[in-house]
Amino acid sequence: MKKYAYNEITVMQYIFLIHGAQVGIGVLTLPRDLANIVGTDGWMSIILGWAVSVMVSLILTKAMSRYPEMTIIEILQLLLGKWLGKAVVFLIVLYCILASMTVFTYAVALINNWLLPQTPAYIVVLLFIIPAHQVIQSGVRVLGRYSELVFYFTLWMPLVLLTMWRNMHWLHLLPVLREGWAPIFQGVPSTILSFVGFELSFFLYPFLQKKQYAALGIVTANTLSMLVYLSVTLFCFGFYSPDEITQFTWPTLGLWKIVEFRFLERVDILFLASYMFILSTTGLPYMLFTVFTTSQLLGKQDHRKHLYIFLFLIIVVSFIYMPSFSDMQKLVKLWGKVGLVVAYAFPVVLAAAVMFIRKKPKEQEA
Amino acid sequence: MGKNTHDNESKSKYREDRGYMSLKGWLGRKRALAMLGKRPITGSIQPISDRLDENIAMLQTIFTLTPDLIIRTFESNFAEGRVALVYLSGLVDKNSINNNMLRPLLNPTSNADTSIVDLLSVGAISNAYDMETVEAEILQGSSVLLIEGRTEACVVETHGWPQRAVEDPQMEASLKGAHQGFVETDIQNIALIRRYLPNRELKIKQLRVGERGKTKLSIMYMEDIASPDVLKEMEDRIKLLNIDAVINTGELAELIEDNPFSPFPQLVTTERPDSVASHLLQGRIAVVVDRSPSVLVGPATFASFFQTVDDYSTRWPVATFIRLLRYLAFLVATFLPAVYIALVSFNYEVIPIDLILSVGESRERVPFPPLLEAMLMELTLEMLREAGVRLPAPIGQTVGIVGGIVIGQAVVQAGVVSNIMVIVVAFTAIASFIIPNYDMASALRLLRFVMMGLAGMFGIVGIVIGLMTMMGHMISLESLGVPYGSPLAPTRYSDWKDLFVRVPLWNMKNRPVSARARQLKRQGENRPEGDGK
Repeated sequence: MKKYAYNEITVMQYIFLIHGAQVGIGVLTLPRDLANIVGTDGWMSIILGWAVSVMVSLILTKAMSRYPEMTIIEILQLLLGKWLGKAVVFLIVLYCILASMTVFTYAVALINNWLLPQTPAYIVVLLFIIPAHQVIQSGVRVLGRYSELVFYFTLWMPLVLLTMWRNMHWLHLLPVLREGWAPIFQGVPSTILSFVGFELSFFLYPFLQKKQYAALGIVTANTLSMLVYLSVTLFCFGFYSPDEITQFTWPTLGLWKIVEFRFLERVDILFLASYMFILSTTGLPYMLFTVFTTSQLLGKQDHRKHLYIFLFLIIVVSFIYMPSFSDMQKLVKLWGKVGLVVAYAFPVVLAAAVMFIRKKPKEQEA
Repeated sequence: MGKNTHDNESKSKYREDRGYMSLKGWLGRKRALAMLGKRPITGSIQPISDRLDENIAMLQTIFTLTPDLIIRTFESNFAEGRVALVYLSGLVDKNSINNNMLRPLLNPTSNADTSIVDLLSVGAISNAYDMETVEAEILQGSSVLLIEGRTEACVVETHGWPQRAVEDPQMEASLKGAHQGFVETDIQNIALIRRYLPNRELKIKQLRVGERGKTKLSIMYMEDIASPDVLKEMEDRIKLLNIDAVINTGELAELIEDNPFSPFPQLVTTERPDSVASHLLQGRIAVVVDRSPSVLVGPATFASFFQTVDDYSTRWPVATFIRLLRYLAFLVATFLPAVYIALVSFNYEVIPIDLILSVGESRERVPFPPLLEAMLMELTLEMLREAGVRLPAPIGQTVGIVGGIVIGQAVVQAGVVSNIMVIVVAFTAIASFIIPNYDMASALRLLRFVMMGLAGMFGIVGIVIGLMTMMGHMISLESLGVPYGSPLAPTRYSDWKDLFVRVPLWNMKNRPVSARARQLKRQGENRPEGDGK
């Protein structure tokens, strides 16, 4: 009966998959956005954003637990009927494509900006296709293992950041609540965007081995991400003066630039190289679920054929057109808007729908 | 014939059973299909005649141009009449033949009523009823008694081929472990393992593989510990083989591993009985290959290639330190030249100015780009290494001296490569010798060149891509259906006790999960309490 039994993921993998998907682009830009909107009290918005995302995550988990063996693809087709369901699923595919492509172009742009300014973009794309293909082709389980491994690989980062402690001016954070609560609430929309990624649970939930830990897992993932954002933002606020920070595109990278050892300068280069791993755990799940969903839509079990087509298309497109920097910013904004709908509005709607539409799943054919 | 069709049925059923879970993927299926069509038919079964002359004539037609075949016919004093003793002279133990067979048969001491078999003072005696069995047994070193008027032959085990004495293991030397390594005879190897595990749960399944070589494989496992699924997987894969002969354990490993295109070894081959015993106790499965001085153990994980027997016999803080050293060596051996290339040719801003100046100074006279420089030196190193492996010890020293002088001094003085490069190569070489498993160390040698190429083309981004791909590959690998990246990814914290840190033995109360053992508990409360109590 269990359709995904062969590809189950553990709770750890569930946590790290979601956490990996959440922490990505946001880490680089969130401190500046918060400084722009809220000022030095921005870190409180993160905690509020976390609370919101945890709430929605729990609603989502509750909704998914109604049909524990089904992904969102099947649930939608069950609730809305075959054709309407497929139409909505198609929208989700578009969302996944948007998300994965945004992350992908972001990674390529970062590399072209900081590391390989003279290499054509499509070569960098070609390079990234190799590990993407390697990880995605074996499905959710391997992707889960990948996210786990990458998480362990990034554990050195906070330690190195801590060496910056003596450069911090914590006075920047004072006075707390300088302008009252209003700006803090205004900052929440941009922080909850950084938590986008937990909506992967739409797909991941049926793969989870021990469903009783689903809620705990998703809350843990959100909390981990919150801690990452909080520490990065606090460090940025402590390091830059409140006005200076708004001038940087990627303040977090600038932070790393200052770290320096006797034997190692420009730690930011190394950070950027490792940051590719962090970005990969954001982009790869969306890529997997793009091809996973399209192959499910066409009734195929094996997603690999679609993966090959998808990756090939990426290469072709990158050869013809590579988004400029401002196009990329637009992409990120677009993902933000759509993500708000898919990750925050959709689960609530789904939970309501699951509550009121009581359809029994058809007996699955063996 | 009957046996063949039965085999085919079970094989096709087996293929269906696997369905999605086809762990070996297309290769396994292809192999099974090839097998269904092409399995050679070995001819009809020829019964043994009751006339001795006919039998001998038939043996002589079977064994043409076989000068080492001995057929000794003699009149026995029994009513049973003439007897022929047949064997291949090099494969039997002459003492046993002379003292335990010929002597009692020619000069019987007991009365004539006893059966001829009762006269033989040999342990293992069986009967054969057809010529094919007789032929096979003779070829494997048994001697066969054919008796006038009987349609069964008496097969006597008198193996005695040239053998090597049990010696220290060559590849996996150990400081504190046992100094007995496997030899080329499977019976002895099984005995070496059994000495560690005198337990009735130690089961041995014997199979023969190879149409011509008929290699004897013994699958060993602890029945109450090893997982039946993994065992079945191993057995099925071996049964699917259709091949001339399996000469060596390495060949078997290559034929049954999960991903034939991976650079990583997916099954452990070891020449240490104590290490096999400890693997068996953890729930893994060993395959003893006759004629091969190493034993195959699976399922293996990436981490298991960094563990040695000595880890458990030295004190745990020391063992932990050495193990961490090995992982560091793994990173150095794989990435150091690549990092050097990337830093020198792409990302020199990472190195502090003083260091970059001295690097630049030493590279001043070098005409090659860093990638070529590194390739040159690494290839020289690999050549020296290969040259040393196969040379006899007295000449081997020459290689060392020549290599030392060439690499160490002349090359730098001539301005072909830089000082720093020599240091890098030396570090890499030392690091790659620290990896305890030869197969894993060889895999890293290959990966190093891939990484160097990537770093030469794309700098640090190339290394990141290489590492990402390697990680992705490593975690998607499986060994006999068990994840290769375990216990790191998938994370199993209970197995971390033996991953980076080797915790005190009394703390490792359970067997590793990654071996898929059926019984997890392996010891009770053993913590020493000391004098303070």
